[in-house]
Amino acid sequence: MSTTTETEIPLRQRVAENPQPALIWAAIGAVLIGAELGAILQVVGAVAGVVVNLIPGDPGASAVQSLQAAFDAIPTLISRDVIPNQGYWNGTGYENTFLGLSPAVAWAIRVAVVYAYAFAVLAWAWNGYKRFRRHYRRVDWTPRDDVVNRFRGHSWGKFGLIIVITFVVMAVFAPTLGPTTMEQNILQPYDYEVSYWSEDTQSVETVLVGEANLGSGSQGAGDENVAPLTYDDFGRFHPFGTATNGKDLFTQVVFGARISLTIAVVAMGIAGLIGLALAMITAYYKGLADLATVLVSDSIQALPVIMVLILMLVIFQNTWVRELYDGAVLIILIFSIVYWPFIWRSIRGPALQVSEQDWIDAAKSFGQTPTQVMRKHMAPYVFSYMLIYASLSLGGIIISVAGLSYLGLGITAPTPEWGRLIANGQQYVASPSWHISLVPGLLITLVVTGLNAFGDGIRDAIDPQADTGDEAAATGGGA
Amino acid sequence: MSRWQYFLRRVLMSIPVVIFGTTITFALIRLGPLDPVSAILGTQYNPQAAEQIRTNLGLNQPLWSQYLDFMYRLFTFQLGQSWVIAPGTTAYELIEIYAPRTIWLGFWSVIIALFVGIPLGFYAGLNPNTPSDYAASFGGIVWRAMPNFWLAIMLVTALSQLGTWTNGLFTWQTWIVRTNVVTPPALGFFQSPVEQFLEDPGGWTESFVRATKQIAPAALVLGSASMGNEMRIGRTAVLETINSNYVETARAKGVSGRSLVWKHIFRNALIPLVPIITGEAFLLLGGSVFVETVFAINGLGWLFFNAAINGDLPLIGTLMFIFILILVGTNILQDFLYTIIDPRVGYDG
Repeated sequence: MSTTTETEIPLRQRVAENPQPALIWAAIGAVLIGAELGAILQVVGAVAGVVVNLIPGDPGASAVQSLQAAFDAIPTLISRDVIPNQGYWNGTGYENTFLGLSPAVAWAIRVAVVYAYAFAVLAWAWNGYKRFRRHYRRVDWTPRDDVVNRFRGHSWGKFGLIIVITFVVMAVFAPTLGPTTMEQNILQPYDYEVSYWSEDTQSVETVLVGEANLGSGSQGAGDENVAPLTYDDFGRFHPFGTATNGKDLFTQVVFGARISLTIAVVAMGIAGLIGLALAMITAYYKGLADLATVLVSDSIQALPVIMVLILMLVIFQNTWVRELYDGAVLIILIFSIVYWPFIWRSIRGPALQVSEQDWIDAAKSFGQTPTQVMRKHMAPYVFSYMLIYASLSLGGIIISVAGLSYLGLGITAPTPEWGRLIANGQQYVASPSWHISLVPGLLITLVVTGLNAFGDGIRDAIDPQADTGDEAAATGGGA
Repeated sequence: MSRWQYFLRRVLMSIPVVIFGTTITFALIRLGPLDPVSAILGTQYNPQAAEQIRTNLGLNQPLWSQYLDFMYRLFTFQLGQSWVIAPGTTAYELIEIYAPRTIWLGFWSVIIALFVGIPLGFYAGLNPNTPSDYAASFGGIVWRAMPNFWLAIMLVTALSQLGTWTNGLFTWQTWIVRTNVVTPPALGFFQSPVEQFLEDPGGWTESFVRATKQIAPAALVLGSASMGNEMRIGRTAVLETINSNYVETARAKGVSGRSLVWKHIFRNALIPLVPIITGEAFLLLGGSVFVETVFAINGLGWLFFNAAINGDLPLIGTLMFIFILILVGTNILQDFLYTIIDPRVGYDG
């Protein structure tokens, strides 16, 4: 056990007494972050741009723009410019590609570098936690160590974690991973040109991206098909082939990953906050507050979720909310409203148990306000149960969003969405262009399996005696 | 509190839930930004017709009287009519046409899920940590993670292409009875089944088999999520029961293996499966929209979806009310089953 003198030393001093492990860790971190400093600053710039846009009158817009330009100029390790793949064959060799390699190899190298970097950062963060635990933490053991150790011994959960990380990296690095960019290939194809080697004239020619897309769609017949891992007639490499309109499928898939992840995480976050806040209030005050919440949540739960989603999307179809982020904001709001009762239900029991504890009485008698009691003495004990439920529900949201988009109600063009891609390729599943529907569907299956496995791991780690009855409701997307 | 009192309290609790759920629907339809009248008229909007419909639907009344009227009509089962997708047809007629297909689909998806999911789960639970357990468990998890609509598309394609793939050795369309892959089931044999069966047993059986074959792929897809759930819960339940003290006692007493599995393990392992099975109602109603769209089965889900995208708000209100009744009814059924199966449930509220 630690002595009182030890516990009073602040972290800074503990690091100063034994600086070596922290310094090594910080040095590695500086290298890792330095390699991508430009990208991080670009994200900051983009966020600043959005914020400025939201403020009426756009104060300081020019300042933000010059800032963004300055950030863009900083070179980063993982970018399209460092490892370019959009080159062309000039008759004797490739031009404008990384080290003169073929576009396919250059793209593969870039993807490998992105994932190597992402896993290096995660390994670094994990190493930092271990160093902290070993050298700087006041106590030798905390209950959280057991949770971490249980998860480390849970191979099914680790399998899920790896898939989840792969998915998240796909979403975060979407602009870098695609063989081409959103802007060039999907949003403004007629504003850009590509050069390619023409077999007919035996020379390099240029064509508008839009026209090249028209000539490389996948619509079934052998001539009208660009299969996965092949080049189209214009020398462009397509890792997942092309969609029916000739736009690159991989680029759409990675940006689709981005929107699926955003919706699932933000909606679950909002629903979790509502559920947690209500659980605190109902557990603390009980009585009428509890009864009213039971009534409201039971009523919302008695509505068929998918039908309510369809109805609300139809009702709000011509409003300004629907336009935000091609419908994502509205979908997030609807999911938060529909999902909070499930979260509240799953943590109501634990919250009631905590509120009966002696330390709550003690805190009250010390004159702490209800908010303080709820926040400091109740919420931390319930939070882990909410985490279990939320992690098991994410997959259901991803499936539901894809299903709504498949029906043409969810995310609208131009933002790519996996369900819409599946609908796009539906009639070509039996043809050579099977990849359009198959690839996004397999990815959804893989990601949802991974999320469920990860959720199982978290549940078994946090609460080894967990009641297994909850999990069915958790994945109930129904799409 | 006795368990029957507990059950009664649950039933009473469901009344305000139905009322409140219907109120939410009313709020969405009447207070939402979509005007029912312009939704009904669409591009053929003209003020006179609009005024006519407004009067017919009672939209000129103050909101509270509209609300009372809406609730009164629904709770007295005056379900109104369709305005857009089948103008003038009453909701009763529509439901009579569309509901049997969905019920048929739901029936088979529950049956398929039950008779595949539970035995597989129990098998995996009785042989834990063997290769077959891993195969069954992993298969169940992946099966559950697949989106219904995508699985439906893939299955439709696979069934249509079976003939080409097997060089004509086996085609789904001609197997047993001739059917199309994508088709609504022909349920004519359900009208006065006894008389028809007595009249023409062979013909009746054939149409029964045909309707079953027509619905089977869709039911398999719709039941996929529940099947995966039932498998997992079944496996866990068996594992928990197998390691419990009373099973060990029974084994020590010399109870035979068969009797041990059926009398002591099976019955108790069924208890946690009850909410999964009744919870299927939610999955089935939601999933029916997607599965019916892909398989071209024009049932209730399809009707709701089309009413929604065409702005048939009065019909949507009615359908939503019926869905709420179905779901709340299923919840009551679940509590009832619990009350019968498990005497321990409900004592402390």
